[in-house]
Amino acid sequence: MNDITERRLALSHMWVAFIAFILACFMGEYQVLERSGLFEALDSSTVYFASVSTHGVLMAYVLTTFFIMGFGYYTASTSLNVPIWNKQLAWGGFWLALLGVVLAAVPLLMGLASVLYTFYPPIQAHYIFYVGATLLIVGSWVWCGIMIVMFLQWKQANPGKPVPLAMFATTMNALLWLWTSAGVALESLFLILPWAFGWTDTIDVGMARTLFAWTLHPIVYFWLIPAYIAFYTLLPKQAGSYLFSDELARAAFIVLVVFSLPIGFHHLYMDPEQAKGWKLLHSVGTFIVSVPTFMTGFTVIASLEVAGRLRGGKGLFGWIGSLQWTNTMVLSVILSLLMLIFGGFGGIVNASYAMNAMIHNTAWVPGHFHLIFAGTTVIMYFSVAYYLWPILTNKPIFSNNLALVQLWTWFIGMSILSTPWHVLGLLGQPRRISSVVYNNLMTLSWKPYELMMILGGLVMLGSACLFIYVIFKTQFSATEEVFEGEVEYAETYHPVTDLPEYLNDIKIWNKVIAVLMFISFGIPILQFFFLDTYDSSAWGY
Amino acid sequence: MMTEISEEERKKILESSPIGTWVLMLTVGVSMVIGWMFLYYGVFLPRGMIN
Repeated sequence: MNDITERRLALSHMWVAFIAFILACFMGEYQVLERSGLFEALDSSTVYFASVSTHGVLMAYVLTTFFIMGFGYYTASTSLNVPIWNKQLAWGGFWLALLGVVLAAVPLLMGLASVLYTFYPPIQAHYIFYVGATLLIVGSWVWCGIMIVMFLQWKQANPGKPVPLAMFATTMNALLWLWTSAGVALESLFLILPWAFGWTDTIDVGMARTLFAWTLHPIVYFWLIPAYIAFYTLLPKQAGSYLFSDELARAAFIVLVVFSLPIGFHHLYMDPEQAKGWKLLHSVGTFIVSVPTFMTGFTVIASLEVAGRLRGGKGLFGWIGSLQWTNTMVLSVILSLLMLIFGGFGGIVNASYAMNAMIHNTAWVPGHFHLIFAGTTVIMYFSVAYYLWPILTNKPIFSNNLALVQLWTWFIGMSILSTPWHVLGLLGQPRRISSVVYNNLMTLSWKPYELMMILGGLVMLGSACLFIYVIFKTQFSATEEVFEGEVEYAETYHPVTDLPEYLNDIKIWNKVIAVLMFISFGIPILQFFFLDTYDSSAWGY
Repeated sequence: MMTEISEEERKKILESSPIGTWVLMLTVGVSMVIGWMFLYYGVFLPRGMIN
């Protein structure tokens, strides 16, 4: 198949993602330097919050969305072995999303949108920022539509056959994103944009936060699912093994997508606008999400164990040493899983209603989400890029050794950065501050940890630059050597020939999500239209 | 380090339960419970009531 357009689509999306990423890395290091208070010349809350907002938007929305779209297009094309449906539309979505990024960037860089990436009202940005963010989301919906159409077309053309796992997961992620982004889209359309344009004088902060909570948790899984796709469908072949279970993988994706949506209120535990009963309901759902995470851990580690034993590893853990640690995919999955264990533990603490009071709005929270996002997730984005770049460019990877160094330094830097970040939270350091204007024993006790964070950030910044260097040199260095490989998806030891429909379709799960979302968010949103006061409803209490 | 294995060994590996994975997952699960209890009983509760 001539897939030149698919390659261009993938490369264009991923370059936008990684350019956003490297810019945001420089901002991140500036932020730890400024916040430490050790460098007076850097002290500026105005610049700090403009930087934090830009860093957050670039990382959480631009890197992720563009990477996921680029990876998704190539996964769809290669796993189904068909061209992308409606390439003009795909390019249209790309340019629309890019226009959104440019529009949002202008007020961000001018300090007119220092509202952090959560843009919680009543802090307000210039309306151009919200228009830009909206266009980015609409551009990503184009991708979702194309993925779903390709999925359905393939199923129609291949009745009864299992949809390739990589495409099944990609389509589930598209479905997840449509549901996820609906919350913030409603918030933007009906609350924020009219307010930012000056058409309304006030804004219902409680409703805005409730709608954003709808988006805020499943968005993490939207970012994470490409990493899981690599775990399940790319790693086994790279490790010299088989996928442990195709059915278990599908079940994990389904549970993850279905239960990641109706659980956002664990971000609102300390908020007054929702009652305790609803928070409890969302809390239960949050703990359920740990189930597919463990299923994924089990399946992926089992695939690695088989690989290690096939390479001669013996004993209970002897297979670990026999793994191909010099393969970037194998190494990154191991490091990603390690960070997932610690990040997941932090998440369980966050989700625990009582203990949340201890770490709420402290440095623990950014420590946690950086470990899950920059750790578990982004290291897999690197790994996918190292895997795909030779295929997309027909050139061998510039240096496998440099890539390995880059992955290790990212992991080491992340550990040095995020550990003291968590400790600072337990020591009482608030998040979302640019400096402390008081000095006492408590704030002085933060200094050593802040120094460690500066060091960790520097190591990560160096690692990020190395990543860009390796993929840039891979694509643009003049080499005679031609790489002719293609994407190799994992196989199971016993090939899957037929599946029950619930493991092979998205329609039933779309209906289940609709019901769960209505149960979890119906009354909590409707209450804002019926209550005369800002009190929360007394459901269950 | 890669070691050559026989076809019989290969079949046995592919058809046996991943015991190392079970032990690792159990260890992670138990460690998480212990860690959670440490934070709850050792850090959170001793801080007392919010006042």
